[in-house]
Parts: sequence; C-alpha cells; structure tokens
Amino acid sequence: MRMKKLTLTLVAAAVAAVFAGCQATPAKQESAAASAEMSAAKMAMKPSGSPPLAPLGKAPIPPDNKLTPAKVELGKLLFFDPRIGGDASTGCSTCHEPEQGWAWAEDFSRGYPGTVHWRNSQSIINSAYYPRQFWAGSASSNEKQAKSAAKGGVAGNGEDDIMEARLALIPEYRKRFKEVFGTEWPIIDDVWHAISAFERTMNTTGKYEVPLDKYLKGDKSALSKQQVRGMALFNGKGGCINCHNGELTTDTDFHNIGVPPNKRWEEDGLAQITFRFEQYAKGQTEQGYRSAKSDWGFYYRSKNKWDKGKFRTAPLRYIAYTAPYMHNGVFYTLEEVIDFYNRGGFDEEGRTTLFPKNKSAMIKPLGLTDQEKEDLLAFLEAFSGPEITMEKPEQPPYAPLFSMAELKAAQEAK
Amino acid sequence: MGVRVTTGRTLLAAVVGFGVALSVQAAEYPNIGPLPQLKINKAKAELGKRLFFDKRLSGDAAVSCATCHVPEKGYAGKEALSPGYPGNGHFRNASSLINAAHRKVWNWDGRIGTNLNDMTREMLTEDYTMNMDMRIMQERVKQDPVYVKMFKDAGYGEPSNGSVRKAIPEYLKTLTSTNAPFDKGRMSASAKRGMKLFKGKAGCIRCHSGPMMTDQRAHNTGVPENFDVFMDPMNHQAFIAFTMFQGIPNYMNLKRDPGYFNVTLLEEDMGKFLTPSLRELKYSAPYMHNGMIKTLAGVVDFYNQGSGKDSNKSEMLKPLKLSGKEKKDLVAFLEALSGDKLTSDKHVWKQPYPSEYEAIANWTKVRN
Repeated sequence: MRMKKLTLTLVAAAVAAVFAGCQATPAKQESAAASAEMSAAKMAMKPSGSPPLAPLGKAPIPPDNKLTPAKVELGKLLFFDPRIGGDASTGCSTCHEPEQGWAWAEDFSRGYPGTVHWRNSQSIINSAYYPRQFWAGSASSNEKQAKSAAKGGVAGNGEDDIMEARLALIPEYRKRFKEVFGTEWPIIDDVWHAISAFERTMNTTGKYEVPLDKYLKGDKSALSKQQVRGMALFNGKGGCINCHNGELTTDTDFHNIGVPPNKRWEEDGLAQITFRFEQYAKGQTEQGYRSAKSDWGFYYRSKNKWDKGKFRTAPLRYIAYTAPYMHNGVFYTLEEVIDFYNRGGFDEEGRTTLFPKNKSAMIKPLGLTDQEKEDLLAFLEAFSGPEITMEKPEQPPYAPLFSMAELKAAQEAK
Repeated sequence: MGVRVTTGRTLLAAVVGFGVALSVQAAEYPNIGPLPQLKINKAKAELGKRLFFDKRLSGDAAVSCATCHVPEKGYAGKEALSPGYPGNGHFRNASSLINAAHRKVWNWDGRIGTNLNDMTREMLTEDYTMNMDMRIMQERVKQDPVYVKMFKDAGYGEPSNGSVRKAIPEYLKTLTSTNAPFDKGRMSASAKRGMKLFKGKAGCIRCHSGPMMTDQRAHNTGVPENFDVFMDPMNHQAFIAFTMFQGIPNYMNLKRDPGYFNVTLLEEDMGKFLTPSLRELKYSAPYMHNGMIKTLAGVVDFYNQGSGKDSNKSEMLKPLKLSGKEKKDLVAFLEALSGDKLTSDKHVWKQPYPSEYEAIANWTKVRN
C-alpha cells in the first residue's frame, strides 16, 4: 500500500493546482473541464522538477495541540485501550497493531467484530507529517482521523457518550485528563488530542531513522551500490519520483494508478456487506450504490467523475513492515508492486482499475529488466529502518465512582 | 410520555380527592377486562420473529433482542438489571414484551410515546443496548437469502431498515397474553378474593387499570435505588451515557434514577416510573424498574407497608393493613393474570441462522 506509482514525469505541485492532478482524462470527455484536464495532463508528461527525495525533518506540531510528555503518555494509554470503541474490544491498536507495522497485515483492515473493513489499514508511523489522513484524504488531521476511526461502524463503532462515560469511571484517566487538559472529567474531544499527540511521536526519526535519510544527510555508506542504482531508477526510468517525492515521499495528492478491485468482494459475503454500507456511509447516489463494483476513492469527497478510483499517494517510509500494499491491499509483496507498475498498472492477470479513463497518463509500461526490478526493490528497502516496537501498557482499571455510604446517604435524602 | 396528560391529571386529582386508599371505587377506573384482539399479518410477523432472535442485528453480532427479553422469562430480563450490550451493563430491568403492542407508551421513564417502530429503532441503535449502525444492519439483512425471500413474501420488497422496524413490531403483536385464568374466567376462589382487594381495599386499580392493568402513566412509588447501578462501573457507564445523551443536568453526580424527570425535566417528576402491566408476572421476576423486589409476595408487602420513601412519592400510597390471608389472595390474583408460556415455535425462532454470510454470486455483474 505504501508503494505508489513509478510514473513518468510531472510538475507535481503545479499540476495539483489544476484539478486534473497527474491523471490523463481521454478526450472523449466532452466538457470544457475535461479538455482543461487533458492539456494539463499533456503538460505533465514533460520532464519536470518533482521535489527530490529529502530526509525527514521534525514532525510538525499543530499549535492547538502542543506535545507534552504527560499528554503523549496519556495518548499512548488511550491508543492501546479497547474501551475507546463500541463493545470495548476494538481500540486504535486493534487495527494499528505494532507488530504488524502499526497497521494490519491483511488486505482489508480487520474491522469491528461482526464486520470487516473495506480498505487497507495504514500505518500510524509518520502520520504526523501528512496534511490529510485516510486513503481518500477525508480527515484533515490526526485528531479528526482518530475520531472518525473510533466511531466508524466497521472500525471502532464507538459513540461519544459511552466512551466518555467509561473514562469517567477509570480513576487513572480522571487524574491524567485533569493534569493534561485541566478538566474535571475526561472530555471525548481531548481523547483525540491525546491520541494524536502520541501518534506524532511515532516517527522514523532518531534511532529509527531509515537508511535513505542517513544517505540523504550525507552518509554515503548507508546505501549499497545496488540501492544507489535503484535510486537512479526511482528518480528516472521507474518514474516513482513523480508522485513519491519530497521530504514525505508522497505528493499527498490523489491519483488513479490502475489498482484493480479486490477480488474478495466477489467471494466474501461479509466484505460485500461492508462494500454496500460504505456506499451509503460515503454519501453515494442511489445509482452509485446500485452500480459500484470498486472503491471510488477520492470521488466520494469531490463527487467529480474524473476522481473515481483516485487515492492518496502512499508514503514509502516503513513499508518493509506494512504489507500488504495499496488502498485495498491487493499486493502482498513489494515485488508484486514493482511488477504492477512495470506492466503499466496491471496485475498479473491483466486486471486494472474499473475507471481506465481516469488512470494517470504517467502509468505506462516501464520496460524494467529483472536486474532493474531487483535494484529498485533493494532501494525500496532503504525506506525502512529498525522496527518500531513498544510494550503495550496495562489498561487502568475501572472503579466505582461513589462509595456505598454516599449512595445510602443519597437514598435517605430522597 | 405525553399521552392523555389532561385526562390523567384530572384522574389523579380525582384520586387525590378521594384521599384514602381504603375506599377506592373501581367504577372510576377503566375496566381490567380482557385484551382486545390485534390484527396480525402472518408473513410480516414471521419475518419479525426471525429478526427478533437474530444476533446479527447488533453492532458486533453478539446480542439479539431476545438476549435481554428472554422468552422463558415472559420476554423480560433474567436478572434485576438488563445485561446491555457487550462492553457495558445496564441500569434498568428489561420489561416483559408480552402485550407491549397494546401499550401507548414505552420504556420505564415513558420517553417513547409514539409507536413500536420508534421503540425498535431506539433499542437497535442505542450504544448500551444493541449499538447497531442501521445501515450495516440493512446490508447484513440483504446478504441473507432467507431474509430476501421473507421480506419479499411479506410485501416489503427489498430488505430495508425501515421494514425491519415494521416487521419486529408486527411480531410483537403476536406476544399477547394467552389463556390467562383471569381472561378465561377460571380463577381460584383465592384469586377472586384477591381481585376484590385489587379493586377495593388494596387500591391497586387506581394505577393498574384497563386491560393491561396499567394507566400507562408515571408515578413515584419510592422503590429504593438498586445500588448495583452505581457500584458496578459497567452499569454505571451505561447510566452515564444514557443521562448524558438525554440531557439530564448534573448527570455525573446523579445517585438515583431520574425516571420520568427525563421527559419533563420537572423536579416533581423525579423518580417517577411508568406503571407496569401486571400481566405475565409469573414469569418476569424480579420486579420494578430496577428489579429490586424479587417476588410477588415481596411486591405486595412493599405496597402493604405504604411502599418506599421518597419526598415525591405518590399521595395514593399509604399502608394498606392487609392481613396475611389477604396478601396471599392478592398474590393469587396477580398470578391468575399470567397465561401460557410463549416459548414454542409459534413465538420463538428456533431454526439456526447461517454461521457466515453467503457471498452474492456473480457479484461483478449483478446490481447491488
């Protein structure tokens, strides 16, 4: 999922401003808008200056949610606490499991009990850096992402009132929320703040720095010769840099790269249920609900037909730990991902997106030799450093809020 | 609850006017005779029955309506406090659903006074009961070919969450008291004496009137709080979630169930609860909104002593001075209000549900 298009070339920033992004819409689209896209896409074919890969700097911290050690520690407790969810079984770490790359190692995220999700769980590692979260960018901050995930019907399925009520009955949380946020009782909105503060410390910096970043900072021994060859392919023939660029290894834009629908929707009743539910949940039209047979991605937000099948360019750091790849987890290895791009956005059965008109013009057969594919793969390994592990904290226990004496006194006073 | 408020107020005034419990005139109150017949659509009720017992109608597919409304218990709860949804408890006793279709007001605090369709929605979606996102529920139902056929046969067309909310109430209509000695005119001599007390000396009929033996109004009878609501954090969290969502002031410090206060936010309604029906009591112990009284003899004793302590307590409740024999007769009458157990296939869906959802064949070609 983290691996993305090894496309031709694109003026990423400039084209992002034109709504076509880096996709080519065929001229069949008659509207003026479509012609505008067309020319934009043509312009994008020219060799250009995508921002070069750059080492990861310090994570941006929003001014309305400053990091403090106490807040981060509270956020960690909450991140691992399944009581932040519907039936107290499914918390953040349930689908963002540290031992599975802080993601979930199946095509679709595991989802709330009785359901399965419909997209791949994305790692929280480095999530602090991205301006938008989720595959279609529907959340503009970690705080909003945490809230949506904890409440979504096929994710946490929690409701504010019950989650807030639980926290009020856990003395350790009452104490910590008061220290950190100054409130008498834990407030649900502060839960998302604390979890986000914790997430913003979970980065591939410091001792978790990835070889690529060491190399980019001047340690030429950090990459092997093969990896250096792979980097040249990444920046050149492979065209990866067109979208996977800059400090974040992503242009943070949305592209249709030709990922085929997950076949699980053809075979798995539970997945079919979620598929239809999501059409509702994302505000589909009746016609869309009836006819959709793949994830329409960024379309659900923009409602522009040319956005069907577009997803956020996945960042590449830490990908060694976050298989499977793509928004629907259809590729379980990076080799498959490279083959997919090398074929011009087709899987080994020749399947591609159900919206071929929206497929980015940058996605073309790459003509990589076996040696080149190996070199590229070796370079992709340089995007991951040591595995980030963590001992899961113990859940602080519940305790009655009132004493028996208080209850009896209240009874007497009735 | 908001039903027939004016009539009720007048009624209450009349009762208070009489003043004493000893001289109740039964004629003033709606007759406690048999229940009216309800027209039932068989196909819809059959569908509702399958839905009622189906755990897939809850968020995590772990509980069905019948988890809290147990057929063996007269479709009431097994314990004093309902178990609630996994991950939390509950703060009230699960009421019997037998004859629920005859009511005009539902929930112990009377917060639903519209119809069983709304009641069904409330129980399915509240986070401490079934926590169901109804959009997921609808898609689950559509994924089961048995349901697809049943919805069609029932005239609902394609399964939808709207028709789930119609089918379950249709099934609830089938849960009607059957063959109660009281209705069949087959009461024992003791029960007959009990009925006289019920209408007279004991004054029960002042609230327990009409075919359901309830005026469907809220009263404060001073039932003591069930401390398990607060001492068990699982129950307390459901209570907090409920009172927070309902907009009850000062909910974090509440040490009592506000009852009907929830509807009016008037102090005078604090601790009032809807008069329960007295039918099917044989099965539905323990009693009261919080299950604080375990037996019918205990309930009779409670009222005989003038019920509990509460500054809002109804003026109607005074010590009754019933003899031991009178108390027994009253219990005999109460028992005669219970009919057959509704636990056969006729009322309970006993066929297994599929263990997993069948995939829709040819998925890429068919319309969703």
